[in-house]
Amino acid sequence: MSTSLTHDSIATVETHGSSHHDDHGHGKPGIMHYLWNTDHKMIALQFMWSAVFFLLFGGAMALAMRWQLAFPGHPIPVIGHLLPHSVVNDEGAIIPSGYNVLVTMHGTILVFFVAMPLLIGVFGNFLIPLKIGAGDMAFPALNELSYWLFALSGVLMLSSFWVPGGAPGTGWTAYAPLSSVAAYNQTPMGQTLWCAALFVNGLSSITGAVNYITTVITMRAPGMTMFRMPLPVWAIFLTAILLILAIPVLSAAAALIIFDLNFGTMFYRPSGYGQPLLWQHLFWFFGHPEVYILILPAMGLTSEILSVFSRKPVFGYKAMVWAMISIGFLGFIVWGHHMYVSGMNLTLSAAFSVSTMVIAVPSAIKTFNWMGTIWRGSIHYTVPMAFAVAFVSMFVIGGLSGIFMASTPVDLFVHHTYFIVAHFHYVLFGGSMFAIFAAIYFWFPKMSGRMFNNTLGWIHFWMTFVFFNLTFFPMHNLGLGGMMRRIADPTVYDCLKQLQPLNVVCTIGAMGLGLATLPFVWNIIWSMRNGPKAPANPWNSTTLEWTVSHPIPHGNFAVTPTVYHGPYEYSVPGLAKDFLPQNEKAPAHITLEAH
Amino acid sequence: MLTGGIFLASVLMASGAFAEERSGNVYGLPPCVTTTGLQVDSIIKMIFWLTGVVFLLTQGTYIYYLIVYRRRPGVPAHYSHGNNTLEIIWTTAPTIVFLALAIYSNRVWEEIHRPAPDNALTIDVSSYQFGWQMRYPGISGKLAPMDVRKITPQNPFGTDPENPKTAQDVISTDLVIPVGRPIHVLLHSRDVIHSFYVPEFRLYQDCVPGRTIGWVWFQATQTGDFQLACNQLCGTGHYNMKAPIKIVSEEEFQKWLTPRQQKNAGVTPAPSSVPVAAPSPAKAASLTGPGTGNTL
Repeated sequence: MSTSLTHDSIATVETHGSSHHDDHGHGKPGIMHYLWNTDHKMIALQFMWSAVFFLLFGGAMALAMRWQLAFPGHPIPVIGHLLPHSVVNDEGAIIPSGYNVLVTMHGTILVFFVAMPLLIGVFGNFLIPLKIGAGDMAFPALNELSYWLFALSGVLMLSSFWVPGGAPGTGWTAYAPLSSVAAYNQTPMGQTLWCAALFVNGLSSITGAVNYITTVITMRAPGMTMFRMPLPVWAIFLTAILLILAIPVLSAAAALIIFDLNFGTMFYRPSGYGQPLLWQHLFWFFGHPEVYILILPAMGLTSEILSVFSRKPVFGYKAMVWAMISIGFLGFIVWGHHMYVSGMNLTLSAAFSVSTMVIAVPSAIKTFNWMGTIWRGSIHYTVPMAFAVAFVSMFVIGGLSGIFMASTPVDLFVHHTYFIVAHFHYVLFGGSMFAIFAAIYFWFPKMSGRMFNNTLGWIHFWMTFVFFNLTFFPMHNLGLGGMMRRIADPTVYDCLKQLQPLNVVCTIGAMGLGLATLPFVWNIIWSMRNGPKAPANPWNSTTLEWTVSHPIPHGNFAVTPTVYHGPYEYSVPGLAKDFLPQNEKAPAHITLEAH
Repeated sequence: MLTGGIFLASVLMASGAFAEERSGNVYGLPPCVTTTGLQVDSIIKMIFWLTGVVFLLTQGTYIYYLIVYRRRPGVPAHYSHGNNTLEIIWTTAPTIVFLALAIYSNRVWEEIHRPAPDNALTIDVSSYQFGWQMRYPGISGKLAPMDVRKITPQNPFGTDPENPKTAQDVISTDLVIPVGRPIHVLLHSRDVIHSFYVPEFRLYQDCVPGRTIGWVWFQATQTGDFQLACNQLCGTGHYNMKAPIKIVSEEEFQKWLTPRQQKNAGVTPAPSSVPVAAPSPAKAASLTGPGTGNTL
């Protein structure tokens, strides 16, 4: 009862407040409008532009790595001379320690500065209040603080390139004692900044997560029960819970590395009674839920897009929610599958392999339900739908390759080979990034008030789809051929020389994938200002964000909407139109199927 | 899907060559030269067919739906929120399959990690930034005892310099092993985490500083030259941290080991070939820090 009360009062306050703080309709907004703005929609855009910058930066590092793997020791054409000497030699060819830096920063940046801000920062912020009928987040100022903590962590991370010793080269997993002893890694300052950046980044995630959880629990519009929430909201809500539980563990573990590096402690050093494996346990206790932090929101976003363009309700809505809840729970008891061969007790490895096999079940359930959603639909192929459709296929490939590594004896062979690189890129790029692209196109009309360019969108899709597979599918073969991940030059090993043609194929694919991103970036930059004006509900969707038209004022809804039914009432028999928005009552003669 | 399908098809076609030895083979696995590796391969093959069939069935159905249920004028979508019977079926079936796979996998895992047979040859494999050293038993047939807490730059194997066996140990930069005999390796690291990885052995195991990893053993099925690789990012020189592996006949192995054992034992008068000088006891003691590792 108090729920709706709280919501109403906050929404009212925000609506009144907007006339003071914002400049809608008052000419050009000042610079502060873009720098300090507590409107969740603006914060979503701040996250988006920052993450797109990091996407280009981290992606370019991947291309440099691919160049080195295909043509080891050859100077990078054109731009080789422009790169810092911590990465390349005088000829412009990548040096081994520079390769390690690229490996480390590519992984770190793509996980913490691209995928997380895009999924959680952008869509968490933009969609939660609009989809549950709230005026803003529960704590708008904390929300903006979350963005600036993120920005600060990005500055810290990038600054590690310019300190003595340069950026760390210990991998995004930063295994101790390599990362925690200066004599071993040679980059104590860079490694300290890396840890500090992740610590601050963690604060950003935690403040964001507190906001999302509070908002979802207390600020839902009247009638918006938990089981009437759209799946992206469910997904990001569960993700926020995972963040709160997992991130502090990483923060603490990173702080211990800072102590070990700078203050003489030996938490991870055996000569001081420390335990190298302690880092791995802490890191992966965070790291495995992190994997689901990166895929749950993607699953939620995709489920909705598949439903909208199939003009069908999500198949098994409740099964989808329970599958996500069980993924969230099981995600905390599978971390040991990263450590089968780490020196951990062998029986423990066997136990973790059982929980790992079990967590494949909810993912299978979701895949079957996505197929159920398009089954007997009326599928409308748009750019966002194309990415969502491809997401399911790529996720299936990534999921199936995961079964290999879940099996303990197979991991004895494929652990740390390119097979795992192929696997997690299918899940994180083919999965998370495809869903992000789908979602950016899908909600672009709502975010900008304009439509994106369709031709550029299709070019982006086909190039991404083809080159993604060309880049990452052969990596399965590289891995089964025995190629190690994180080596700067595979040709030093006799048994890997024969695989070199495959490395060239992967690199050609990666170059194409890099090019594919350009029409995307150009499209969103250009269309944000110049695209044709978008109608309020261009996709004929049912959820609440499509009931408000652009520009959406601070406070979102002039009148707090009332919700009458579940989120995906498409193609209800007997209705004139094929969608029934959540805030519209079904006519008396129509019975909605229970979902 | 399409590209994936083409690649999968090529993998399927080449799968006949899975266990087959073939140079320039970019589709199959490298040759397998250990008994336990064959067990790993059989599970890989089993999962390959299992996931391959699931992939073709689900993607086939999916693509069929995508084509058949594309938007066509006058054909509305079917209104359905789901089907609980189906949910139960596609929850139960994968659960059974996955649990069966986990149980089967772990039986093989246990088997691979059963204690090394009594006739196994024990070799101490010591990793460091960025190389490998092997320590073979001296003429007594037993390795000199070591303690991971005593590993220092001056005493890289952590052995007791007072123990007469220590000087008898045979140190080598190559891993030379006899075919057909179980080899029990004791994995050590002197600094950061490295890993003992040989693709042809189907074997990966981290070497953790401060500990002895003592459960790895294998038995080669054929002779040949291979390479030991570090497969755990360990610093600047990681990519090139390798050591030659020579699998030879028992006879050749004895021809390689025995003279070295005799030399170290002073049977033939020759200077010691041990590359690392044993430190004085006082120095070793002062450099020995406390540790949590287990003692051999």
